[in-house]
Amino acid sequence: MTTLEAPAKPISLTKFVPGDFKSDLKPIWCPGCGDFGVVTAITRALANIARPPHEIAFVSGIGCSSRIPGYTTAYGFNTVHGRSLPIAQGIKLANPELLVLVASGDGDGFSIGGGHVAHAVRRNIDITYIVMDNQIYGLTKGQLSPTSSRGRKTVTSSFGSLEEPVNPLLYVMGYGASYVAQGTPADMTGLAKIIEEGIRFPGFAFINVQSPCVTYGLEEQQLKAHKTNMQSLESLGHDPSDRARATELARAYGTKLYTGVLYRNPNPPATYGQGVTERQEALKKSAVPRHEILNRFKPTN
Amino acid sequence: MSEDLIIGIAGSGGDGVISAGESLLTAAALEGYHCVMTKSFGSQIRGGEASCRLRLATRPVLNPNGPLDVAVALNWDDFRRFGAELPVEAATIVIYESNTGVAPDKLPLQGVKPTVVFSVPITEMAAQHAGTDKAKNIVIAGLLAGWFGIGRESVVAGIRKKFAKKGAEVVEGNVRAFQAGLDFATANPLPADRKLSAPQAGGQAKLLTDGNDMCAAAAIFAGCTFFGGYPITPSTEIMQFLEREIWKYGGTVLQAEDEIAGIGAVVGASFAGKKAMTATSGPGMSLKTEMLGLASLAELPLVCVNVMRGGPSTGMPTKAEQSDLYQAAFSAHGDCLRPVLAPTSVADIFGVTVEAFNLAEYYQTPVIVLSDQEIAQRKETVDPIDTSKFQIIERRQPSGAELTNYARFKLTESGISPISHPGMIGGNYLAAGIEHSESGRPTASGEMHARMNEKRFNKFNPLKNRRDLFTIEGDPEAPIGIVSWGSVAGVAREALRLAQAEGLQVKLLVPQLLYPVAETVYQDFFASVQRGLFIEQSYQAQLYRIVRMNVDLPAQVKPFAKSGSNPILPTEVLEKLREMVVAIQSGQPQPEAIED
Repeated sequence: MTTLEAPAKPISLTKFVPGDFKSDLKPIWCPGCGDFGVVTAITRALANIARPPHEIAFVSGIGCSSRIPGYTTAYGFNTVHGRSLPIAQGIKLANPELLVLVASGDGDGFSIGGGHVAHAVRRNIDITYIVMDNQIYGLTKGQLSPTSSRGRKTVTSSFGSLEEPVNPLLYVMGYGASYVAQGTPADMTGLAKIIEEGIRFPGFAFINVQSPCVTYGLEEQQLKAHKTNMQSLESLGHDPSDRARATELARAYGTKLYTGVLYRNPNPPATYGQGVTERQEALKKSAVPRHEILNRFKPTN
Repeated sequence: MSEDLIIGIAGSGGDGVISAGESLLTAAALEGYHCVMTKSFGSQIRGGEASCRLRLATRPVLNPNGPLDVAVALNWDDFRRFGAELPVEAATIVIYESNTGVAPDKLPLQGVKPTVVFSVPITEMAAQHAGTDKAKNIVIAGLLAGWFGIGRESVVAGIRKKFAKKGAEVVEGNVRAFQAGLDFATANPLPADRKLSAPQAGGQAKLLTDGNDMCAAAAIFAGCTFFGGYPITPSTEIMQFLEREIWKYGGTVLQAEDEIAGIGAVVGASFAGKKAMTATSGPGMSLKTEMLGLASLAELPLVCVNVMRGGPSTGMPTKAEQSDLYQAAFSAHGDCLRPVLAPTSVADIFGVTVEAFNLAEYYQTPVIVLSDQEIAQRKETVDPIDTSKFQIIERRQPSGAELTNYARFKLTESGISPISHPGMIGGNYLAAGIEHSESGRPTASGEMHARMNEKRFNKFNPLKNRRDLFTIEGDPEAPIGIVSWGSVAGVAREALRLAQAEGLQVKLLVPQLLYPVAETVYQDFFASVQRGLFIEQSYQAQLYRIVRMNVDLPAQVKPFAKSGSNPILPTEVLEKLREMVVAIQSGQPQPEAIED
């Protein structure tokens, strides 16, 4: 396994503990919600990464999962529904030194905001996208989500869903994502590990977290069930650099709960940000002073 | 001799209509004339009809409008498609392509029979002298240079430069084509000399550009280092200019996947502490609305340029209209106030854009710049701008002391709270679209919501007293007052000049700040006014109605408004002003009720 370097800034000498990244805001989640585990896993990962909270921007959209930034001590931005990715990319491009995390849910990330995912993947800006996938709309009280299985009965599909679910893993694989992982709060150590690795990965990293909804989720979607169902990809002997095999395994989304790194590009392509920095460096010599910019409008025949 | 010449040229897309206009424009600008050139196209990308209007004058020209002094038609079907954009009068000198087969006394123009008409074998002359009919534009430039005395030497110099790479033969061919045009004009003189008088002596060397490029240059000057957007007519040149330039200043342009992502990235960049801008047109504004609301609530600075075109929906993408003012002022749900500024010309968009960044950073708010297709895409001579006169305002960042127990949305007397950004130790906070407390914590408290609304509205109070964002011209005690904004203000200014020349007592108010409505500015302006007009390029006369929401206007102040792409002429406004003078003198009783 390749050891990947942490992005941008040198690691601070200060030691951090997960508590340094937890805010004193009390979560509004239902007791037992999977998202409690996700915030814990994220703070554990951040403690290992050891970037101080003020150097982290944590962006989200709308939904239960999108409350997460407020429960951390990072600079948080709880934006509008489905638009966390464009905003996060703007932050990272404006200040490449920042560590940028994005939290989303299945509805926020693959329904209203689904159109942005493809572009974030292909643009390959160095941000980490964590989707808390519970196959239901929890905050609006139990409607069909884009990852709900066909036939699923909810308050907006009283007779069962008539559509196929989105497969988030296959979706990002299809657009050429370089880091794709899946986890569950039922395996906290594994979840914290794939988040940490995603943050360290130089480029766009996608982590799908099966984070159950205790109120509207099905019994087989709860953490108790995960504990018996989940299969670690490592234990299956999966080689994360094998893209073809990773794509095959991704097809099992919705039937099997694989955890761990599904795909890690062994030769990560240059990030968008690297291209920007190179271009800025190459062109800065040709800048005229800002107050002389109007000289270019002097007519010449 | 002429002091002011309006030339309209129309043909098919490949006829070189625009490049003929541009070579004369550049030549005239170099010689020190004041010029405005507008272009108009069918919506086809290639082929289709194309036209330009070129106005050249010895003193500042304020708009491109008015009937043509000179009409050039490469073919009549294309020419006539521009209708009222290229109005021909009996006095118009008409020059047209002989191979159209139209007899000079049978021009396909309705209701007018021009007396000076030249049928010119333009294509044939191009083929004969340059060896290609592509040189039609050069022949046209030669004809116009000959008859109207514009830029012989500089057009030739331009030809030599432009075709240098193609070899001496091509250069000389084009020079011959130009000379053929000149010779034709000499051999066929106008009945009266219409050569443009010499430009005013001592005039400063001018700049020549269009509104979109000027807006983008102003953004660079103001310190913008991030642009996110999506291509849309007629705003795209702003993104294109910045994409060529911004990297040099350590900035980034992101062509996003859609309008929402474009402004989303801008919101993100602003949160990260950078001056950021997006630009779009009506349909894009509709999509950006939710993000504008987010930026208002999270109090994040950004500049959003809307280059207006005809609407609603796809509307008229290549035509100017002033119908997006309601949207700029009122879109996005919830109680919200967003400053809206409008430039009146290419020169003016520089200052307006810089002001927009200053207001955005100072008040921590999105600011809308309402440009329009005409300003955006017309080329205009601009007197040199002294950039040292412009102040650049940066957002108020928290001091070291303010960063201990930092509260991002602290309720201050001014309503403006110091704003931190990621990377700043101690400034950590949660920005959100959800209502918040002073520290940024989400809240559902009605009391806190009311206090935050009050903060977000009251912080703009000083803006309404910015009288420098308004110009008033004419007699301060005039009983007739007109108001106009955006590109149409150039028409109003010319109408004022015509009215003053007739001795009419008229004054003109031109706001750069459209919203919030500066009540006292309008109250003071209308104090002496018995009758007046709001001159606007929209069906609804949106500024008129927005001002009336806030100010009690005299009953006889009315809109004079037309839908986009229907030119408003200075002479039409003058006629209205004359009627008002007569009405005042005849002492017509003022009706009590305001009719709508």
